[in-house]
Amino acid sequence: MEPDGLLSGIYRTFQIVWESFPQLLGGALLTIEITIISVLLGLCFAVPLALARVSSNPLLRWPVYGYIFYFRGTPLLVQIFLIYYGSGQFSDFLEDIGLWTYFREAYFCAVLTLTLNTAAYTAEILRGGIQAVPHGEIEAARAVGMSGGLLYRRIILPKAFRLALPAYGNEVVFLFQATSLVSIITLMDLTGVARVIVARSFHVYEIYITAGLIYLTITYGILWVFRKVEFHLGGHLRERPATAVGSKAVVAPTVAPR
Amino acid sequence: MGEPTPALLVEDLHKRFGDLEVLKGVSMSANDGDVIAMIGSSGSGKSTLLRCINLLETPDSGKVYVSGELIRMRPTRNGHAQPEDQRQVDRIRSRLGMVFQSFNLWSHMTVLENVIEAPIHVLKVPKAEAVDRAKALLDKVGIADKLDYYPAHLSGGQQQRAAIARALAMEPDVMLFDEPTSALDPELVGEVLRVIRSLAEEGRTMLIVTHEMGFAREVASEVIFLHAGRIEERGPPAHVFGTPKSERCRQFLASNL
Repeated sequence: MEPDGLLSGIYRTFQIVWESFPQLLGGALLTIEITIISVLLGLCFAVPLALARVSSNPLLRWPVYGYIFYFRGTPLLVQIFLIYYGSGQFSDFLEDIGLWTYFREAYFCAVLTLTLNTAAYTAEILRGGIQAVPHGEIEAARAVGMSGGLLYRRIILPKAFRLALPAYGNEVVFLFQATSLVSIITLMDLTGVARVIVARSFHVYEIYITAGLIYLTITYGILWVFRKVEFHLGGHLRERPATAVGSKAVVAPTVAPR
Repeated sequence: MGEPTPALLVEDLHKRFGDLEVLKGVSMSANDGDVIAMIGSSGSGKSTLLRCINLLETPDSGKVYVSGELIRMRPTRNGHAQPEDQRQVDRIRSRLGMVFQSFNLWSHMTVLENVIEAPIHVLKVPKAEAVDRAKALLDKVGIADKLDYYPAHLSGGQQQRAAIARALAMEPDVMLFDEPTSALDPELVGEVLRVIRSLAEEGRTMLIVTHEMGFAREVASEVIFLHAGRIEERGPPAHVFGTPKSERCRQFLASNL
């Protein structure tokens, strides 16, 4: 390429990115909205699911195991198709029970699928956390007279959440990336908007690289939030703060006792 | 009447783990102010006996009374037993302070949070009052300057003293100690024993499973020697340590003193 041609090429690239940026940001807002709603709803469902998953009652444990197995064992895209296109086959029935107005909306089906999907993964992550709570700490709680709901609310779940947090951060990032699949059922999320612009302009590289950079930036934001939360909840995992004795600072041991 | 209600009464306790019968009919009692040391080699059933009293292990048969109240049990189909009423168990456990060999502090809470947790959420004590009491107790066990520390930032001896403060915060009728110094480095054993001794001097009712023979001899009002799930020897320390009748007790003391 001629030097002149190179410069004008770069200029044109920036122009394309600049012009499509507002549209891409609009798509990113929908992506963020879908992620936040699915993550919050999914977490609400995941807690009772995880409790059922560790229950000694097989009537609770097995249905939840089946649910989790299905949502972990099939592709998210298949789940989205099943709920969005599949519900169409039952439109009469859904109409009768007053749910068709929801199921005919791609937005509703997308959020529902993502919520059910992340609830399954999160329940399994939480189960790991619950089962990793040290037995002795549970025993100490029983010994002071805690049992049932109080024991779970005060000791087991707070500890399990902390243990599950790093894996859960991963799951949220994964779900955020996975929202790009909703563009296939007509939603104008970040990927959906990028596809439309590319189809109109054929500037494949410029637009997808820009979309990718927006995904990266938001991912960084999610990681930042989780780092803050982990720091806030993880005082017991850090080194002991150096305590000043007189004017001489006592150096904290690098390895915690035990 | 006339006889005062014992703080603790255990009648004919049996406990099996699979084919192994760990307790083969143990009876004992503790009156208010008694300090009872339970000694014996590993596997003799002394820890299991202690854990059966607050039902961390469920005895298969036998009776446990705490301050005269019988813990109601019912037999299960597989030959074991289970408590009839979990709320009664919770209430009785809240009156028995337990100190574990491995401390078992709640690792995600600071020392202060560990001590106020159960008073606030089990006994429904107002938070300000629980904090005041916790600070006094932490002062008493000598770690008032560590209340913002997490357990992992403390030495074993400090952790065990925090655990004792946590148990005391429930104002229990009886304190149960399950080998409280066995997980400690030798130089840290003394600070924990000093705390337990000061509790004995206050007249607290305590059951202590221990390997510290010298401590048992000095502090206990009664010593119980268990062997293979039975009480082989019991009596004042001078008797058990000085003139034991049982041959096994003599052998045990010969190898442990």
